[in-house]
Amino acid sequence: MNAAVNGERAGPVVWSGIIAATCLLLLVVKQLLWLALPFIFGAVLYYILLRPMQRMVRSGFSRNTAALWVCALFFGLATLAMVAALNWSDVPEEDSWEATIGVYLDGGLAFVRNTIVLLETKFPLLAEMRLTSTVNTAIAAYTNDFASNHLGEIVVGLVTWVPSLLLAPFLTFFLLRDGVRFKKFLARAVPNAYFERSLFLLHEVDQTARRYFEGLLTLTVLDTLVLALGLWIIGVSSPLLLGLISAVLAWVPFVGSIAGCALVVVVASTDAPATPYVAYGAIVVFVLVRLLDDFVFMPLTLGRSLHIHPLVTVVMIFVGGMLAGVVGLMLVLPVLGVVMVIGETLGRLVTNPRLRARHRYAKALRVRQASIDLDIARERRGAPTASTKPLGKG
Amino acid sequence: MIFRFLKPPRMSPRLHRLKSSPLFAALTPLELKIVDGLLHERRYLKDEIVFDEGEEGQALYLLMSGRVRISRLHEGMTQVVAELEPGGFFGDLALLDRSPRNAQARALEPCEMAVFFRADFLGLMETDAVIGYKISLALARHIGLRLREWMGTGRPQLEAL
Repeated sequence: MNAAVNGERAGPVVWSGIIAATCLLLLVVKQLLWLALPFIFGAVLYYILLRPMQRMVRSGFSRNTAALWVCALFFGLATLAMVAALNWSDVPEEDSWEATIGVYLDGGLAFVRNTIVLLETKFPLLAEMRLTSTVNTAIAAYTNDFASNHLGEIVVGLVTWVPSLLLAPFLTFFLLRDGVRFKKFLARAVPNAYFERSLFLLHEVDQTARRYFEGLLTLTVLDTLVLALGLWIIGVSSPLLLGLISAVLAWVPFVGSIAGCALVVVVASTDAPATPYVAYGAIVVFVLVRLLDDFVFMPLTLGRSLHIHPLVTVVMIFVGGMLAGVVGLMLVLPVLGVVMVIGETLGRLVTNPRLRARHRYAKALRVRQASIDLDIARERRGAPTASTKPLGKG
Repeated sequence: MIFRFLKPPRMSPRLHRLKSSPLFAALTPLELKIVDGLLHERRYLKDEIVFDEGEEGQALYLLMSGRVRISRLHEGMTQVVAELEPGGFFGDLALLDRSPRNAQARALEPCEMAVFFRADFLGLMETDAVIGYKISLALARHIGLRLREWMGTGRPQLEAL
């Protein structure tokens, strides 16, 4: 009888398989982008709503009713909060949303121009290089051709993405309602010999995903609060909303941080067009929060959640970005975490001779059981039967 | 319709069979239904091994039908520790920790079992303390009974599972 194979670390072959499988999955995700983002949002919402739903189930509600209620309540409250945030924020009052966007774009462009003028004043070399006129020409070229070159792409992108994002609530509902059933369905397909280990594997995969998404949520709340506090101190409008949007954008490593910073600077420069120092202050606040996030919050939340070596983490983020772009950057860590758990467990199962022998023995028993009636027929004919043959040694 | 959740659920034959086990005897119908939602069903053929001695334990097995023999190696000889009937359960120490199994379980005839995974039990203890405490109490009584039997008879009873 075998000794328990506890706490063995995966070897280089298993790790090569884990990294190869992660890369392959990222390439698949790249092809299924329309499903990847709704799935991420769906998974985050699932882990937010799971506990309230469990409470309702324990109170006697069916899983269907409980899932329906928590989803309806959450999305109702989220819509109310969104409407309240939009009504209470100090956005410039314009007739239409196009005009509002125009005001913010003008504010951002004015900030860029003011900054370049300031740089030329401080560094005459830049003035000699005619930096202002070069940047103005580039901006003019981009804005003049914007409608013809980019507007179509943006509209098509929105038409493609918005319906797929509406999948998120549906995914959340079905994950909540049928998650346990799905887990049982998967476990049922596993042979008896591997059953306990496979249950443990499913549990570990669930725990890894849960730790990641709960860590991500904690990180988002911390980022939102700290950034909102900083922006409120320097006097930028709607600090909480800006903080929340920037924190959600930061789910995408690198690119999300840049987009969040650009958003904050645009709002700050529009709020105070005459004083660019507010926008510079916003940049300083943003950089400080990112540093705090990278060196304090992230190791305390996501870093602990996945138990992956920091070097592997950084390398895999680059690999994810190279293979699947922005979504690759965003998904590489949870995918690696889940594949790591699956790979390590499968590695142990496949290399365990006792479990394999038990599985072969059980299969032989099933073959014998299935052929009993055939044996009876053979016995009647006087031929040798399968059940009289000895089974392979377990 | 709105207050339907206040009505206790009807007991299916399966819930009756679960209730007949000492492990779940103290649970109400609603609590039984919640626990049943966590149990996995497995079927074993005669002579099939359920788990091996030395294997890491992850789950408790509740015998719904059939018979199971618990045996262990003692000085190179196979020693039968117990034979269990429907309603009996084994592998219960796996619910408490991840220690290796101290005996082998093998089906003596075609068996149907309900499997209670440790992580589900621990999750239940966190999310529903009442069910958790009822099952824990039943487990503690069961282990205490075995300990008393072992001290009284000197049999190598299941310090075992």
